[in-house]
Amino acid sequence: MGENKYKSEGTDLVKICKDAASKVDRGAVDEFEIYAANSVQNEIEIYNGDVESLSFSDSTGIGVRIFKNKSIGYAYTEILEENKIRDCIEKAISNSLVTNKEEYNFLPTEGEYKYKSSKIDKNILFREDFLKFSVKSKINIAKKLEILTKEKDKRIAGVDSLIYNDSQSEVAILNSSGFFDKYKATTCFIYVNAISKQNGDISTGDYFGCARSPEDLNLEEISANAVKRSVSILGGKKVKSRKVDIILDPLVSAQFLSVIANGLAADSVQKGKSLFKGRIGDKIFNINIDIIDDGTMPDGLASKPFDGEGVPRGKTVVIKGGVLNTFLYNIYTARKDRTQSTGNAVRASYESSPGVGLSNFYIQPSDNTFEELLGCIDKGFYVMDIIGLHSGANPISGEISVGAKGLWIDKGSLQFPVKEVTIATDILSLCKSIEKVGSDLKFLPSGGYIGSPSLLVRDIMVGGN
Amino acid sequence: MINKSIIKRILSSLLKSGGDFSEIYIQKKIINNIKLEDRKIESSSSGHELGCGLRLCSGDSTFYAYVDSLQEEKLLNAAGVLSSAVNKSCNRKVLDLTSSESPYNINIKKYPEEVLPEFKKSILLEVDKASRDYSSKITQVTSYLSDLEEEVYIANCNGIYSFEKVVKTILTVSVVAKKGKEVRTGYKSLAKTCGYEVFDLKAPREVAIEASRIAVDMLDAVSAPVGPLPVVIGPAFGGVIFHEACGHGLEADAILKDASVFKEKLGKKIANSIVTAIDDSTLPYHWGSYKFDGEGYPSTKTVLIENGILKSYIYDFKTAIKSKKTQTGNGRRQSYKHIPIPRMSNTYISNGKEDPESIIKSVSRGIYAKEFAGGQVDPATGDFVFGISEGYLIENGIVSFPIKGATLIGDGPTVLNKVEAVGNDLDFAPGFCGKGGQSISNEVGQPTIMVSEITVGGTKI
Repeated sequence: MGENKYKSEGTDLVKICKDAASKVDRGAVDEFEIYAANSVQNEIEIYNGDVESLSFSDSTGIGVRIFKNKSIGYAYTEILEENKIRDCIEKAISNSLVTNKEEYNFLPTEGEYKYKSSKIDKNILFREDFLKFSVKSKINIAKKLEILTKEKDKRIAGVDSLIYNDSQSEVAILNSSGFFDKYKATTCFIYVNAISKQNGDISTGDYFGCARSPEDLNLEEISANAVKRSVSILGGKKVKSRKVDIILDPLVSAQFLSVIANGLAADSVQKGKSLFKGRIGDKIFNINIDIIDDGTMPDGLASKPFDGEGVPRGKTVVIKGGVLNTFLYNIYTARKDRTQSTGNAVRASYESSPGVGLSNFYIQPSDNTFEELLGCIDKGFYVMDIIGLHSGANPISGEISVGAKGLWIDKGSLQFPVKEVTIATDILSLCKSIEKVGSDLKFLPSGGYIGSPSLLVRDIMVGGN
Repeated sequence: MINKSIIKRILSSLLKSGGDFSEIYIQKKIINNIKLEDRKIESSSSGHELGCGLRLCSGDSTFYAYVDSLQEEKLLNAAGVLSSAVNKSCNRKVLDLTSSESPYNINIKKYPEEVLPEFKKSILLEVDKASRDYSSKITQVTSYLSDLEEEVYIANCNGIYSFEKVVKTILTVSVVAKKGKEVRTGYKSLAKTCGYEVFDLKAPREVAIEASRIAVDMLDAVSAPVGPLPVVIGPAFGGVIFHEACGHGLEADAILKDASVFKEKLGKKIANSIVTAIDDSTLPYHWGSYKFDGEGYPSTKTVLIENGILKSYIYDFKTAIKSKKTQTGNGRRQSYKHIPIPRMSNTYISNGKEDPESIIKSVSRGIYAKEFAGGQVDPATGDFVFGISEGYLIENGIVSFPIKGATLIGDGPTVLNKVEAVGNDLDFAPGFCGKGGQSISNEVGQPTIMVSEITVGGTKI
């Protein structure tokens, strides 16, 4: 099939930005910014050895942010015809008429950058070998993962979801105070959900891999983990409701970390929507834990040379030795707190103006092995997966109650499978109850690239019978 | 936007190396979002999207491409890439396109494009004032007002040609209330498939007051109990329990992949006989309604469960053919960038006979779950969870203390059989549902119901 033919020739973001900029009537605005993004994507779904779906796309759009009389207006368009770009600029200007004036509303200036220049090598983000992979070879990778997953254990009854997708993306930002830069990136992602059956019981287990190039996807590891997560819960039962010590699997810890992270963005703090407001310098954790946001981590999938408004990214230690050290800032929130931007302006696409968000955000691992954590528990619960985080965890009030499955722990060893139970706590208690950090750091691509090792947490309510 | 002869050329070009089905989906969308937070209009943005998705099906495989353009040359190029994925002989002719009819016909009174930005701003300011006037304990109000005007053309090689103009308006209100160290949140939305006449039905301040009442009432919440208890689930958004615990498992893609606990249950009793459940995309102006689904099939009312007996699954084009059933008009997609899949529209449990108050009175110790923050299900096992955002203890038939931090956990088949009372106060609530990376508008609904036992995930034994 037509290899890479799908990518249209010469989508030139430099030209798109400059053309759009030339259409802004400088008398009608004080300042402006053009954000342009192009993305070429490929997605493959496999079911029972066949291609269930194969899709391609190549799309480009621009977002225009204008500043006028200290008000901001925003508009975007996917139609890059001359008159539609003019309409888009007009829309942005008219949108600025209804938003509030604020002294902090103007483009970034270099003195406000916490990290003066980015330490990231742009070549790390874009892997040339990504281009070597034909559609056919990617289909074969996906098919191979399905086969590996089904072969691993005879209790595997099927794979109901196997998705591979990748993208080559390019982002450029140009603003009226002279900033102009761009970067290209490649990423790929593969996901498998394995259904297992035994004695009338059904269980599911999923796993994924993500990388800059398909070359780096470890299919053996992905299939082994999906199968393990599926079959080890077979025959799971409820336990009696009680408070016990728990171990959170890295992927579960990372999901809880994403709830905690919500309250560490300066935007939530300034708006009174964070439990960490006014707590800089306080010991939030009982142990000497470090939590880091590093926008330049070489193997971090959220790494970029600059953030969503052109500010260099860097490495920010948010929690240092268990103590809250700083919040994460974009330019607007930094001005409000009279500090510098940490380069955490994020935008999901050209559809949105920059908010505050995470880059590569993780708990620094220690050297405790999983077995060492296990050895610290007399009676407890190893939580392998949770469900309902979105509805069961409230980052503002701090309440957490989610569904969980995993393995029961007795005298430091894994016993029988447990399912249909809940674990409930609140964010600040959870932070205080973490007693040990493992060494098995794993990242989850979800609203940034969030990572955690296994965590040993004392005295958590498990709800069952 | 694009003439029929070009459409036919593209549909034919898709089939030039074989295949069973070709389709083009053209979408033009204009959206506006305005946001209030911290007592001020924080942002206002607009967007213009235009594009087209091409689909080619051959056997069990689907090939899809989307292009953010309507230029014939670009579309033919994309069609060429797709057709080259199928290497067979061409034996499929494109039929003449005939415009489709739908039972869903509504009138829009106030189109978003006619509404002045100043008016939109006044709606958000009304929300802010009403929330803060409700109680001095309200410390933050976040409100979004969004509108959408969309035109969708769908044509396929079977001669289907549909056109729909869609208008949607949504107001969401989130508030934070604080008393001492206790912090609680409240959320309410108003969303209809219509223009700004939505505010003639309900004033923005009413939405604000409801959100604020929840947050303030929950400030006095006690820790939720833990363990199995009888649960009375309130009307409207309570329907999310049916949506999650059962609805997703009835979507035919899960059935065909042997990833649903409801496989091979058609005609069988899967719920207590007082349960009747329906998916209906024809309800005028409801948030999950449409004239045509994402494949040009007219909107349809489908009885899913009748008196406890499973009557139908939820189908799109591809799953209906594979199951040798009629489409139910549930092939939905987020946008031209997405492949249609079976999805619910407005899904609800029908009215029963009981008075909601007498349902609560029948419970000596249990939970009254009035509002939910949402839920999630694993269709293959039926296991679900819901986060309760407004819940109370029931003690001796009386609703007593509010409870905090509770979820409900269980599995769909068990809960459906344990529904022991269905009230007569059916109501609906709008929301968004995510599946396969696609977010679409849905409505859930139900009257007050009572489930004899669900595990409550609180912290208090």
